[in-house]
Amino acid sequence: MDPDILVRGLTAGSLYALVAVSFNILYRPTNVFNFAQGELVMLGAMLFAAGKSTVGLPWPLALLATLAAVGTLGLAEEFIAVAPILARSKTGTGWVITTLAISLIVSNLVGWIWGPDPILVKPPAPLSLDTFEFAGLRLNSYVIALAALTIALVALIERAYRTLQGKAVLAVAEDREAALLRGINPARLSRWSFFLGGAFAGLTGILAAPILYASTSMGPALLLKGFAAAAVGSIGNNRGALIAGYLIGITEAVGASLLSPGYQEAVVFLVVLTVLLMRPQGLFGLATTRTV
Amino acid sequence: MLIVDSVDAGYGHVGVLEAVSLCVQPGSIVALVGRNGAGKSTLLRVISGLIAPTKGGIRFEGLDIAGKRPHTIVNCGLLHVAEGRRIFRNQTVADNLELGLYGLTISREEYRRRLEPVYSMFPILRERRDQLAGALSGGQQQMLAIAQAVIRGPKLLMLDEPSLGLAPILVDQVFDAIVSLRRSGVAILLVEQMVERALEISDYCYVLQSGRMTADGAARDMARSDALRTAYMGDHDSGSN
Amino acid sequence: MAASRATTLAPLITQTAFVAVACVFPLFVGSNSYALYVATQLGVYIIAAIGLNLLAGYAGQVSLGHAAFVAIGAYATALLMVDHAWSFWAASLVSMALATGLGMLSALPSFRLSTWYFAFITLAFALVFEKMIVEWRWLTKGFAGVIGVPAPRIFGYEFGPKILYLLVFASAVVAFLIVRNIVQSRFGRAFVAVRDAPAAALAVGASPQSMKMLAFVIAAAMAGAAGSLFAVQKTVVTPDDFTADFSIFFVLTVVLGGLGTLWGPVIGAFVFFLIPEFLSSLQSWRMLIYGCLLLVLMLFAPHGLAGALRQAWRRYAQTQKTPAAARTDTPVEHVAVAGLALEITGLQKRFGGVAALDDVEFIAPAGSCSAIVGPNGSGKTTLLNVSGGYYLADAGSVRIGGVETNGMSAQRIAALGIGRTFQTPRLLNELAVIENVMLGAYRRERAGFASTALRLPGARAETRRMRAEALDHLEFVGVADHAEDPAGEVPHGQQRLIEIARALMGGARLIMLDEPAAGLSMTELDRLDQLLVRIRKLGATIVIVEHHLDLVASIASFVTVLDRGKILASGSPADVFKDERVLQAYMGDRALRSGA
Repeated sequence: MDPDILVRGLTAGSLYALVAVSFNILYRPTNVFNFAQGELVMLGAMLFAAGKSTVGLPWPLALLATLAAVGTLGLAEEFIAVAPILARSKTGTGWVITTLAISLIVSNLVGWIWGPDPILVKPPAPLSLDTFEFAGLRLNSYVIALAALTIALVALIERAYRTLQGKAVLAVAEDREAALLRGINPARLSRWSFFLGGAFAGLTGILAAPILYASTSMGPALLLKGFAAAAVGSIGNNRGALIAGYLIGITEAVGASLLSPGYQEAVVFLVVLTVLLMRPQGLFGLATTRTV
Repeated sequence: MLIVDSVDAGYGHVGVLEAVSLCVQPGSIVALVGRNGAGKSTLLRVISGLIAPTKGGIRFEGLDIAGKRPHTIVNCGLLHVAEGRRIFRNQTVADNLELGLYGLTISREEYRRRLEPVYSMFPILRERRDQLAGALSGGQQQMLAIAQAVIRGPKLLMLDEPSLGLAPILVDQVFDAIVSLRRSGVAILLVEQMVERALEISDYCYVLQSGRMTADGAARDMARSDALRTAYMGDHDSGSN
Repeated sequence: MAASRATTLAPLITQTAFVAVACVFPLFVGSNSYALYVATQLGVYIIAAIGLNLLAGYAGQVSLGHAAFVAIGAYATALLMVDHAWSFWAASLVSMALATGLGMLSALPSFRLSTWYFAFITLAFALVFEKMIVEWRWLTKGFAGVIGVPAPRIFGYEFGPKILYLLVFASAVVAFLIVRNIVQSRFGRAFVAVRDAPAAALAVGASPQSMKMLAFVIAAAMAGAAGSLFAVQKTVVTPDDFTADFSIFFVLTVVLGGLGTLWGPVIGAFVFFLIPEFLSSLQSWRMLIYGCLLLVLMLFAPHGLAGALRQAWRRYAQTQKTPAAARTDTPVEHVAVAGLALEITGLQKRFGGVAALDDVEFIAPAGSCSAIVGPNGSGKTTLLNVSGGYYLADAGSVRIGGVETNGMSAQRIAALGIGRTFQTPRLLNELAVIENVMLGAYRRERAGFASTALRLPGARAETRRMRAEALDHLEFVGVADHAEDPAGEVPHGQQRLIEIARALMGGARLIMLDEPAAGLSMTELDRLDQLLVRIRKLGATIVIVEHHLDLVASIASFVTVLDRGKILASGSPADVFKDERVLQAYMGDRALRSGA
C-alpha cells in the first residue's frame, strides 16, 4: 500500500473536520446549512496567499486580516441572504438557494480578481512539508501540527459553548421562542455565529493553503466533503465532525490508492450514502430529538 | 403599570384578539380567565412582544412597548413564563438559571446572591442543580421555568398556566410561590385554568371570550358572577338542549 | 358580464396563441438556421425545467444536480445509438429509466431527512458524476465525448431539424400537460402537503417519503428524456456540456419563472435562455449574473415572473369580480360507514422525565362517540397522537378495529380509515379551501398515477365527483362561500371546520378531533354540534378531545377524564360530571359547580 496514505488521510481529514465544524457553528442558532461555506474557505486561502506574497504582510498580520475579512463576509451573507429568508418563513428552505447564490457570486468575483492559477503558500517556519520516516510511516511536521491544531480548535469551540453566550446559542437552537422570552436576541447570536463561522472557514482556508495551494477552484470539493463529515458525524456535533472528518479523509486516501485518484469523490459519496441509509441522524447523533 | 389599550392581534391573516384592553396595578395579582382558544395565551404573547399587535397600544411603566422586540421588553422588567414548561432540556438546571440572567452585566457574587432566594423558594432546584433540566419531573420543570424568570428580578411576571399538569401538592407550592412573589412587590398577570384557586389569590379578574374581554371586576365578585360561568360553559346550554 | 368573460378568457387566449406560434414557427425559418437550433434547444431545456419545477416548486425538494440527470440521459442515448445501433426510441426509454434509477439510488437516504440534505446529495451526485464521466473513459470516451449521434428515425424516415423541433416541442407539451394533471390531482395536493404541512399529509394517509420519491422519479425521468433529445439534437455529447454551471442554470430557470407555478419553467427558460443569446458579450460574467439574479429573485420575487404576472392579473381580475356561480349540484348521498373500535390498554408514554400517559385504558366502541376531557397538559393530545401513530408508545397496546397499531406509521394507520384534526389546524394555506378538503380523499381516490397523469375519463369523472362531494361537505360545515379562497385567508374558527370536512372527505371510520370547538363562535358551535351528530349517524366512531363540556354532554355517550396522564374517571357524561374528583381536577371552581 502507498506509504503516503496516512499523511494524505490526516491532512485531508483535518481540513474536512474543520469545514464541518465551521458548518456547525452557523447551523446551531439558525438551522441553516451554508452552501457558500466552501467558497468562504477558498476566499480565506486566497486572501492569505495574496496578503503574504503580493502585499508582503508578515503572516500573523495576514492571518488576522483574512479572518476579519472572511468573517465580515459571513456576516454580510447572514444580513443579505439568510435573515430576510428566515424572517419570511422559519421552515422553508429558500436559504438553500440564496446561500448557493452567494457562493456563485463569491467564487466568480474571486476568480475574476485572481484568475485560475493556484498560488503556492509555504508553511510558516519551522514547519515544513518535507517528509520523514517514523515507525515505517511517512509524516511531515506540518501535518502533525495541523492535526494537533484541529483537535485543539475543536476543544476550544466546545469550551466556547460553556460560556454564557455559548449556552445562549444552544438555548436558541433548542427553543427559539423560550430563548426570546429570557431576553436572548437570536438575531444577534445568529449574526455572531455567521461572523465566527465565516472566520473559522477563513482559518480553514489558511491552513489548507500550504497543502492544496490557494486556488479559486478549491471551494466545491471542500463544501461537499465538509458536508460529508458534518452529516456522518451528526449535524451540530463538533466531536462527531472531528472523528468523521478523519474517517472520511482516510477512507478517501485508501480508496484513491486502491482504485485511482479519480475515485476519491465517489468513495466519499458512497460512505455518506451508506451511513445516512443506516443511521439518518449520523454516527454520533445528538440527544435533541424533541417532541412538541 | 401595564396598560393594554384596545389591542387587535392575530396570526397572519387570521385575527384572534379584538379590541382587548387590560390594566395591571403595581404589586397586584390579576387573573385572566377564559376557555381554551379564547386568546389568553395570544394576549400574553402580544404583551411580551412575540407577536406584534395590528392595532392598539401597550404601555409598561409609561413606556410604549407595542411591537417592541421580546428581549427589549424583558429588559424593561416584564417577564413571561410561557405555557408548557419551556425550559432548555439539554442544559443543566444551573445553566438554565444562569441563562435567566442573560444580557445583564452582573458579578459572580451578585449571581450567587440572586440564586439564594430562588433556591430557597424552590429548594429542589438546588439539590438537582447539576442535572439536565430534561430529567426533572414536570412540576420541577415548571418551578425551573418560573425560577428562570424570577432570578432576573421582574417588576411584572406573566404566568401562563403554571399549574398545568402538576400534582396537587406541587400546585400548592407554585401558588405559594406566586403569593410570596407578590409580597416582595412583583405584580403578576396570571392565566390559569384552576379558576377558583386563581381567583382566591387575585385582586382583579378579566374574562376573555372568543378574543374579546367580556367581563372584568374584583376577583372576589367575579367568583360568583354569571359572566364567568358563561365564559366557561357557553350560554346556550340551558336553551338548546 | 363581458368583462368577466374577458378575465377568464384572456389567459386562455394567451396560452393558445403561444402554442400556435410555437407550432408554426418552423415554417418561417430555414432548416439549418440558428433560430431553429436555438428553439429546439430551448424546448429540451423546458422539458427538464418542468420536471425540476414539480420537484422543487411543488414537492419542495431542490435538486442542485439536475444537469447530471440530463447527462445520464444524453450519454445513455448517445452510447446506445452510436456503439450499439439502437433506435432512438428504445434508447430514450432506457435513458429515462437510467436517470431515474441512478438518481433514486443516491437520493434514497435523503427522503426521510430535512429537505436540504436532498439539495446537498444531488449536488454531490452531480460532482461525482462529472468525475466519473472522465474516469470511465472506456465507456464514455472521456473528454473527446461521443460523436456522431444519428437522428431519430421512424420506419426508415430520418428526422430533419424541423421534424426534430416538432418532436421536442410535442414532448415539452406532453411534459407540461402531465405535470399540470398531476399538480391538479390528489398527488399534487399531497406534494404541497408534504412541503407545507407534513402532519396533514400523514393525517390523510400520504407518506411524505413516498411523495418525495414520486416527485423525484417524475423529475428524473423528464431530465432523462430531455437528455435523450439533447443527444440527438447536438449529435455530440461531451463532459463539458454537463458542468455544475448547467445545474445552476436549471435552478435559476425555475426560480426565475416561478417556483411552484405551472408556466414558471416555460417563462423562465424563455427569458433566461434567450437573453444571454443576445448578450453573448457578457459570457464571462454569466455565472456572476446568475448568482445575483438568484439572490434578488429569492428575496424579492419568490414566485418569480409567473407569480408576479399572476398577482398582477388577480389584482386586475379582482376589481371586476362577479359573484361565484351558483352551485346547482344535487346533494351527494353520503355512504354509511362501519365504525372502527378503538381499544387502548396499559398505554405508557414519557417525554424526558415527564410521564405524559401512565397506564391509560380507553375504549371507544364502534360507532360510539367518546370524549376525552381533562385539564390542559393532562395528556389528551398525546393520547390522540399515540393512537394515530405520530408518537410511539413506550408500553401498552392500541387496537383499531381489532388490529394492533402501536408501531405502525401514521400514514398506514390513517389508511385504515382514521381521520384526524389538530388543535392548530394544519391546512395548506396557499391552496384553495376546496382543494384542502379534497386532499382528505387522498386514500379514497382510485385513479392511479398513470390515468391521473394522462387525465383519462375515469380520473376526470372521479375528480368531478370528489369536487362535488367536497363542496357538499363544505356546504354543511358552512364554509362553502370560501371554497375558492386560499385556506390561509379564512378566519381561524372556519379553518377548524375545514379540517373536519377534510377528515370526513377521507371517509373516516374513526375520527379523532382535537378541541374542535376552541375558538369557534356560537353559530359555528351549533353547526359543529349538528355536524358531529351527522357523522355519528353515518356510523363512524368519534373520539373527541374537548374543553367545551356543554358540547361533550350533548354529543358524547361516554366520557373519560384524564388528569396528569392518568385516568381519573370514566362513564356517562351525567355520572362523570357529578364526580367530586373530576370537578376538583377539571374545574376546581365553585362557580362552575353551582352552574353545572
